[in-house]
Amino acid sequence: MADRTVLEVRDLRVSFELHAIERYVEALRGVSLTVAAGEHVALAGTSGAGKSSLLKSIYRTYLPDSGEVWLHRDDGTSVELRGLPDRELLDVRAAEIGYVSQFLRPEPRRSALEVVSRAGVRRGLAADEATDAAAQALREVHLAEELWHTYPTLLSGGEKQRVNLAAGTIAPPRLLLLDEPISSLDPANREAVLDRIARLTEVGVAVLAVFHDGDAMRRLADRVVLLDHGVVADTGPPEMVLAETAGVSP
Amino acid sequence: MAGWALKVEGLGKIYGPTGAVLGDEPEAVAGTGPAFGRTVSPATGAVVGAWDVGFEVAPGEALGIIGESGSGKSSVLRCIAGDLPATAGRAWLRSFRGGEVDVMAVDAATRRSLRVDQLSVVYQDPGEGLELGISAGGNVAERLTAAGWRHFGDIRTRAAELLSRTEVPLERMDDLVRTFSGGMRQRVQLAKALANRPPVVLLDEPTTGLDASVAAGVLDLVRDLLDELGLAAVVVSHDFAVIEMLTQRVIVMHHGRVVEEGLTDQLLEDPQHPYSQRLVAAARG
Repeated sequence: MADRTVLEVRDLRVSFELHAIERYVEALRGVSLTVAAGEHVALAGTSGAGKSSLLKSIYRTYLPDSGEVWLHRDDGTSVELRGLPDRELLDVRAAEIGYVSQFLRPEPRRSALEVVSRAGVRRGLAADEATDAAAQALREVHLAEELWHTYPTLLSGGEKQRVNLAAGTIAPPRLLLLDEPISSLDPANREAVLDRIARLTEVGVAVLAVFHDGDAMRRLADRVVLLDHGVVADTGPPEMVLAETAGVSP
Repeated sequence: MAGWALKVEGLGKIYGPTGAVLGDEPEAVAGTGPAFGRTVSPATGAVVGAWDVGFEVAPGEALGIIGESGSGKSSVLRCIAGDLPATAGRAWLRSFRGGEVDVMAVDAATRRSLRVDQLSVVYQDPGEGLELGISAGGNVAERLTAAGWRHFGDIRTRAAELLSRTEVPLERMDDLVRTFSGGMRQRVQLAKALANRPPVVLLDEPTTGLDASVAAGVLDLVRDLLDELGLAAVVVSHDFAVIEMLTQRVIVMHHGRVVEEGLTDQLLEDPQHPYSQRLVAAARG
């Protein structure tokens, strides 16, 4: 395992104050963890444990109440994301953090190949490099070539999800947050996507992921962090943590 | 951080008697806003459409303004555009005298000239941005001649370029805009607004009133143009799908005040202010 820390989360807390129904929900109650370059950390736990909330709080789609989220760079500089002004955060997101959800945000009137290559351009590839990298990514996730020039809005759920993953992993950023990216895939396509994710860590990307199934975690994760009611309940190698939670977690 | 293309500070618009200025605000402002649940001044009866609104927009960035009808979104846009005189506030365009001169304070002729090539508006009703009684090509040409274009052939070529970019069939270039459908009028309005490549564009409900499939087409086009031209845009819309597709940041207005601002995805998924939560819940059903 590499020891260059890329993501460092310290005592992160997030809650939702739902004014209309006067409810206060604590989703994360002081979570700390790190992910190193080239390391794949999987988040486990029952639904409602805080897995997706943690990913969204790191990306700042959710606004944490307190705590720190540090992104450490190769050049020795670091940036704290929770307190960063909005426009600076947008720049950091564009260049250094990928967030891949279950769903493709529809981009009407753009072909699958364009959706993926434009994602590459946003990450700094030149237009022709981006087209090559997009073709490579779509091949790796086994999207049939005759669909490359189709609008993703017309594709099946599993095909859309693979386009989404290809777009999310092209010119991979330093940190990748994966939120159930394989939930609608059949076994063969699932394998192809898992292979692509495995290759990301080989090139030094720090990956923090939520998967629905234990097999994916066993295959990809260097470490599993078990969340329970918004706190870290356990952390360790997948076979250990997942064995302890057999029958409880996914 | 990238610099701003448009900066607005302390913008206010009061419709009706403002009363005396007490401290740093007119009498009419007291007792209005979200805390009081009203925009009508108890002191003067004036409507405080917007008060103390400020934001910056960078080149290549689109800022959304959301809020229910009457929250002050369009008042803000129209004061920046110069369609309405603001009661208070200052605004700067980077492209105008290096961003050092408050455009709210310049004389009327200078203000109007900004609309030629520095700041364009796309209105919900194309009738506001277009002359319906002249041709599509003529509408675009008018904006070009205002910017000093003189050669008929050049003007016609440029107008045709713009109309084809906004997907208006060229065989209809010489037809009166009055004979166009709503979606087509909106495309002509975009061509006219972008004619002189203004660095800042204000869009006021650009797809409201169009049927869903036409709206989707116009929206795609707007998004492509914003991407391609690196414009700074302010988008007013009550339709969250529009806001989600076009903008990176959002401010929420309620009873004439800004109650929350944030990243678009954050505001739509984790709104903090009680009013923003109600607004998002209502839109998401």
